[in-house]
Amino acid sequence: MLKDADSAVPVACWSCSVQHDEVTMFCPHCGKIQPPPGGDYFSVFGMEPRLNLDLAALEGEFHRLSRRLHPDRFARATECEREWSLADTALLNDAYRTLKDGLRRTEYVLTLHGAGNGTHIGSGFETQIAEEQNGKERQNASRAPADLLEEVFDLNMQLEEMRLRRQSGNVDRQSGKVNRELIEDLRAAKRKFETLREEVDRDLRGAWNDWDGGAADTRRRAQTNLRTLLDRRRYLSNLVRDVSEALGE
Amino acid sequence: MAYSDKVVDHYNNPRNVGTLDKSSTEVGTGLVGAPECGDVMRLQIRVNPETQVIEEAKFKTFGCGSAIASSSLATEWIKGRTVEDALAIKNTDIVKELSLPPVKIHCSVLAEDAIRAAIGDWKKKNGAAEAAAAAASAQ
Ligand code: FES
Ligand SMILES: [Zn+2]
Repeated sequence: MLKDADSAVPVACWSCSVQHDEVTMFCPHCGKIQPPPGGDYFSVFGMEPRLNLDLAALEGEFHRLSRRLHPDRFARATECEREWSLADTALLNDAYRTLKDGLRRTEYVLTLHGAGNGTHIGSGFETQIAEEQNGKERQNASRAPADLLEEVFDLNMQLEEMRLRRQSGNVDRQSGKVNRELIEDLRAAKRKFETLREEVDRDLRGAWNDWDGGAADTRRRAQTNLRTLLDRRRYLSNLVRDVSEALGE
Repeated sequence: MAYSDKVVDHYNNPRNVGTLDKSSTEVGTGLVGAPECGDVMRLQIRVNPETQVIEEAKFKTFGCGSAIASSSLATEWIKGRTVEDALAIKNTDIVKELSLPPVKIHCSVLAEDAIRAAIGDWKKKNGAAEAAAAAASAQ
């Protein structure tokens, strides 16, 4: 099953010559492995692109295909078949890792529809995610939502104060008290950003429904919405991470 | 990527780091963020109400070296200028002075935005003050 029905070009099985759908890993007729399929990650599992994905079905299909691709089954196969089975295994793993996680799945759907974040053109999707999660790189950090500027600035001030205090290291009784207050402030900030992140997660689920069920322009609007929400979420996660680091939690 | 000497200089000895009294009518505060990287910058000015000259400028930036250098340079440049003159400063002037590479252009944009935001805030405060005074005298 391809995302665009008209791009599904039937090809003949190299082994039994019966025509079959291009995206299947195995010939439906003789069961032999086929050259790695085109199509998107959803089609690997024979699924329609959806954000509310049936995760149990996904997992079941993943295990079934993993078993069929197991190297032991190709011990006596031709060189070509062995190569295809390795390529398919890599594809299957990437596809599963991407689709089973809600955030990665959303990011992937946006990439498919040309609404990715556009900063990593040319690199594979998995590499892109890896780079983003390596979020210490400034260029890969995410957007500052305007309504959070004030809070982010204050937070940075508090974090800096905390660092300076640690450096000077003189914790007499007086500064011990100030320190405790500072820690309380940071804890409050962390809770606040976590709550905001939960709100984002709720909104994301709403946008998933819009995307899954919507007509073309609802879908486009949902995509814009999803992009904004993902950026905001990543930003909030970075803040939570920074505060946690400072608190040593 | 290596920073230019001027960036390094501003980074190591930032000029005019600090805070001005946000509540004063003579002070304008600009708080801006770079959408590309999430860095934040605050720039404040104190304007002489008679002459409209920016007498004091302070900044505080949480961001990369180029952003710190850009805001440091910005405060140096706007000090002593009138508000209108300060608005003429373009991010490209900063890019040139600091020899910023293309990937760091947004850091200079942040500084230009901060100048505009600070002046905007000051104008709003004072426009509002004038309007209130006018309304009071009209009664
Ligand atoms: S990298 Fe973001 S302001 Fe410089
Ligand atoms: Zn076949």
